[in-house]
Amino acid sequence: MSQALSWLIRGRSSKASHLLLAPATFWLAVFLVLPVASLLILSVAQKGPYGTFLWSFTWANFARALDAKYLPVLLRTLGYAGTSTLLCLLLGYPLAYYLSFFAGKKRDLLIILLMIPFWTSCLVAIYSWIIILGREGLLNSLLLRLGIVSTPVAILNTPFSVILGMVYFYVPFMVLPLYGSLEKIPRTYIEASYDLGAGKAATFLKVTVPLSLPGVFAGCILTFIPCMGDFLTADFLGGPRTYLVGNLIQNQFLMAQDWPFGSALTSLLLLSLVSGLYFYQRLEARELEME
Amino acid sequence: MSDLSRRDFLRLAVLAPVLPALLAACKKGPQERVVNFFNWSTYIGKDTLSGFSAESSIHVNYDVFADEEEMFAKLRSGALGYDLIVGTDYMIPRLTALRLIDAFPEGALKNIGNIDPKFRGMPCDPDNAFTVPYLWGTTGIGYNKSKLSKAPSSWWDLWDEKYKGKISMLDNSRDCISTALLMSGLPETTSDERTFAKAKELLIRQRPLVKQYASATYIDSLISGEIVLAMAWSGDVLQASRENPQLDYVIPKEGSYMWVDNLCLVRGSAHREDALRLVDFLLRPENAADIANTVRYGSPNLAARAKLDKALLKDPRVFPSAEIAGRLKFHTLLDAEVSALWSETWSDVKVL
Repeated sequence: MSQALSWLIRGRSSKASHLLLAPATFWLAVFLVLPVASLLILSVAQKGPYGTFLWSFTWANFARALDAKYLPVLLRTLGYAGTSTLLCLLLGYPLAYYLSFFAGKKRDLLIILLMIPFWTSCLVAIYSWIIILGREGLLNSLLLRLGIVSTPVAILNTPFSVILGMVYFYVPFMVLPLYGSLEKIPRTYIEASYDLGAGKAATFLKVTVPLSLPGVFAGCILTFIPCMGDFLTADFLGGPRTYLVGNLIQNQFLMAQDWPFGSALTSLLLLSLVSGLYFYQRLEARELEME
Repeated sequence: MSDLSRRDFLRLAVLAPVLPALLAACKKGPQERVVNFFNWSTYIGKDTLSGFSAESSIHVNYDVFADEEEMFAKLRSGALGYDLIVGTDYMIPRLTALRLIDAFPEGALKNIGNIDPKFRGMPCDPDNAFTVPYLWGTTGIGYNKSKLSKAPSSWWDLWDEKYKGKISMLDNSRDCISTALLMSGLPETTSDERTFAKAKELLIRQRPLVKQYASATYIDSLISGEIVLAMAWSGDVLQASRENPQLDYVIPKEGSYMWVDNLCLVRGSAHREDALRLVDFLLRPENAADIANTVRYGSPNLAARAKLDKALLKDPRVFPSAEIAGRLKFHTLLDAEVSALWSETWSDVKVL
């Protein structure tokens, strides 16, 4: 497939290559370049009366976004996204490992089962969690019946419920790249390791884990980025203490009617994530060169 | 089935979920008349819209919001095709300033005379051009009788450490900040930043006690016992008390705010004539009464009064006594600059 593509693109007929690229280019232009460009333009516009825009250039929105009062929200968001990513990795790695090495015939079924929560509407899933975690919800009645607690405990609207929600939603983003990279490890390497006298633990730590690192990084990036922008989970499963950057941005657009400031916040978030990715890629490229 | 190839089957399987929508789209000819109505959630009678459609064969696309800022943001970004919306009195200046709503054509509504003259010529629409009052209510405290040793009577009860983690506040700058100003004995008409700083301080002090800032989901939380005290809108709690009889509502002794929600015509909407017909239908005494009986808010429709449930009419939580009514105020109408101060203050309360 990719050979065919590169043949077409590098090949004699440049028309064909342009034609092939056209849908993707169009898609990128309409759904990526255009929105991001309008976001950037809006972020240097001024807020007019009742949330309208004044088209005069200003850095004020960025200056405001860098105000120290937003630092706690940023740190909190980093904390939540980091914790969720780490938990996804801790839960996802064994799962991906099992899928790749032991699942056998059940593998396809298990992957579908993993994807089902991901396919259900996000809101339906959130409301189900509200029913489960509530003061008079399923989990609390179970704990009461088992005699573990004597009065219902607050689970909903706590940091715990937000992290739980995030891990629940984003674990497939972690498992799939991990599974992909574990699948790619030639089984002969592992056999060779055993032949050379390494035990199970040594083989796992010195062969499997290092070879799966690209998957680990890809999974962490794919989990961390949506967690940084998440607002639904924090809104429905969280409370005042779990106000995240995503909520702050959403509030600028829908409540405060301050789209320019909201755009400045979004641009900064986008910029930091994209530059993070860029430096990671540079680092990776340099490591490849060194090898 | 046997002569369906695998590919055909896949194609069909992909189409299956969208088939009903496709069929519906085919059925709906260009002649089908519709009104797109955007209203607060839980804010209409059970059979109101089907009654209208049965009588007029005009279909109503009904959409709801829980947060009027969100409604405003949607309306402002345009192109959503709503014909009729419901706007609270203090939103009207914004909607007219940005020319988002149109005036009602003179003489277009047969039943407009049913509206209580008290609700006409209000400060938000002195010429009765842009608004038709729909329902009115108050902001107060909803609570769960069985979970409190003493019924709340003051706004300060929402600041009581005892109820930490069991309190909910409306997620909206108008209700929260004006209450904080009221509690501090400061005027709502202020444009002084220092006054806002005081209101902000009071709300930030309350924050650690608050379980959630919510304008719609708090009702479910009250019913389920997740929270026991909530800053709430009168009718919401009274509707919920049908499901959980332990729920009650009180207007705090410091006083509070009342508001009127109005039907407004979206500017340049495509189905003007049919929207007007729906408004006139909603103005009929039997329909206005049915809506008020269902949602348990006050109806500004004088002709509907005779058809209201006796219990509702006598309920001081819906129709406050003269003494309590004396402590109720309408929200001040804000100009653009001050309104930005309100939303910034609210944003700061939530961010810290």
